[in-house]
Amino acid sequence: MRIFHKKDGGIIQLIDKDKMEEWSVELPLIFIEYIKDKQLAKYEDAKVKKEVSAYLDEILKDVAIPRLISVLEGEDEEETISALERIKEISKKNVEMARPIKPYLENLSKSKNKSVVNITKDISNSFTKADRRKELAKKRKIMQEKEKQFMAGKISGADYAKARKEYLTLKD
Amino acid sequence: MAKKEKNKVWNLQEAKNLFQEYLDKGNEKKPVSLPPDTIQIDNLNTKKMLERLFTLTDSILEKIYNSGRPSVQLPSRANTNIIWDEENDLLLLGKQIQEKQFHSLSGVADITRLMSVLEKVYELLSKDLHATKREIFYSNVKLFKDQKNSDKSIEDVATMLYTTRNSTHIVASAKGSCIGRLRIRDRNDIIDLEGLGSGGWTISPMLDNVEIIESDAEFILVLEKDAAMIRLSEARFWQKYPCIILTAKGAADMATRMFLKRLSKDLNLPIFSLVDSDPYGHYIHSVYLRGSKRLSYESPFLATPNIKLLGVLTRDLDKYKIPNDCRLEMTNQDIKRVKEMLEEDFVKKNKAWETDLKLALKMKIKAEIQALSAHGFEFLTEQYLPEKLSTGDWI
Repeated sequence: MRIFHKKDGGIIQLIDKDKMEEWSVELPLIFIEYIKDKQLAKYEDAKVKKEVSAYLDEILKDVAIPRLISVLEGEDEEETISALERIKEISKKNVEMARPIKPYLENLSKSKNKSVVNITKDISNSFTKADRRKELAKKRKIMQEKEKQFMAGKISGADYAKARKEYLTLKD
Repeated sequence: MAKKEKNKVWNLQEAKNLFQEYLDKGNEKKPVSLPPDTIQIDNLNTKKMLERLFTLTDSILEKIYNSGRPSVQLPSRANTNIIWDEENDLLLLGKQIQEKQFHSLSGVADITRLMSVLEKVYELLSKDLHATKREIFYSNVKLFKDQKNSDKSIEDVATMLYTTRNSTHIVASAKGSCIGRLRIRDRNDIIDLEGLGSGGWTISPMLDNVEIIESDAEFILVLEKDAAMIRLSEARFWQKYPCIILTAKGAADMATRMFLKRLSKDLNLPIFSLVDSDPYGHYIHSVYLRGSKRLSYESPFLATPNIKLLGVLTRDLDKYKIPNDCRLEMTNQDIKRVKEMLEEDFVKKNKAWETDLKLALKMKIKAEIQALSAHGFEFLTEQYLPEKLSTGDWI
């Protein structure tokens, strides 16, 4: 187990990443997501939270992603489909967790296997939607800023209208 | 002493000291080396189990081809072959070997049952399935006649393959439960043992599918009784005092002992037991501590030699002013059992334990954990346990 010491003398123990080598391919990602979502906030100690987050990133980099990639690049279509199904589930819950596999989707979308193509498409859509949400939030922020500046008479109505148009176009 | 101190938060100092000691020791952990006069039993995965099974089958076939009189050899599980390893505080199996002949009239039923169980084990391993002992019995009632016979054959097969019973994929029915600051993986599911309601998680006998993945507990509490589990669960004891609580609901079954062993090995936390203040309670503690004679061949995978007897000690009855009407007189059977326990080497070696058992023999009194509720239902969780863990009042 990997041990993290809290200031109050308590400890947090997390399974060693080496043991995850024998797990099913998608499980390390599920584990990372679980600890981040359900446990991290309970640890209270800021130092421990930071250390655990760093350890989870280590698992992502050293175990989760390499294992997923090895399956996605492999020739066993059944295994690829099973991994893609789990990635799809994960991307629905937290798209950022699945982002490291994004570069591999283009290749998979050219597969001769219909199921592979369809699931890949679904995952790609999750990324597109997430990216769009991000872009929209960015444009909204710019528009709100311009609105304040316009009300304060610092910019022209045309400048404000331009920012608003960009936001509304993307929203539609 | 028995006065209630509700809402007081105890510091559990002595338990924390023990916890720190274990943490320090964790860095210098040495593998357990068994004495040379004992046999080595391995916990095996499916692949290795099948390899071992094929090797055994090959050796039987070879005997058939060579002499036409096949036999199998397995370590004897007779009392004379059970050895107490003082250094590791474990009951182990010695090197006496028994031979079962296929051509013996008296042993033909026995060997047929043995081979039938071996066949079932092969089927389970090949299909990656698990079966209970009861299912094995029902797989051929005519042959086994009584479950005692199939159970014996199952143990014979395990020892014959020099492995644990769980490695054969034959498991006992689920009995124990666990609750508290622990997260596990059961195949592809993550289970939070804090979020399963007051009943907790039923300890799976298929422990080869289970893995400990996260915990922020500082100690483990083993309870003899389910009633105590309900009390602690209702008080959400683990929230105030970070711990993992488990019970086998009476005698310690194999899955619970194996799970406790796993917790101890993986998490390296102090472990305490809370049992009735009677010889049977002390016996249950001893089974967790150093294994049972019947399953001595599996002791290294089942026993938890660092478990401490937290209570209820005989001396606690006066210390915590347990009223006389909550105490019970020992029966002749109880007295006989205490005397037998006092003869055991592992009790003689532990002076505090010996003293407490001698006190029980002198007072001829016993009491259940529930007797503590004479001081109120919350006495167990608000004072008794925290005070004992804070002051280091254990054996």
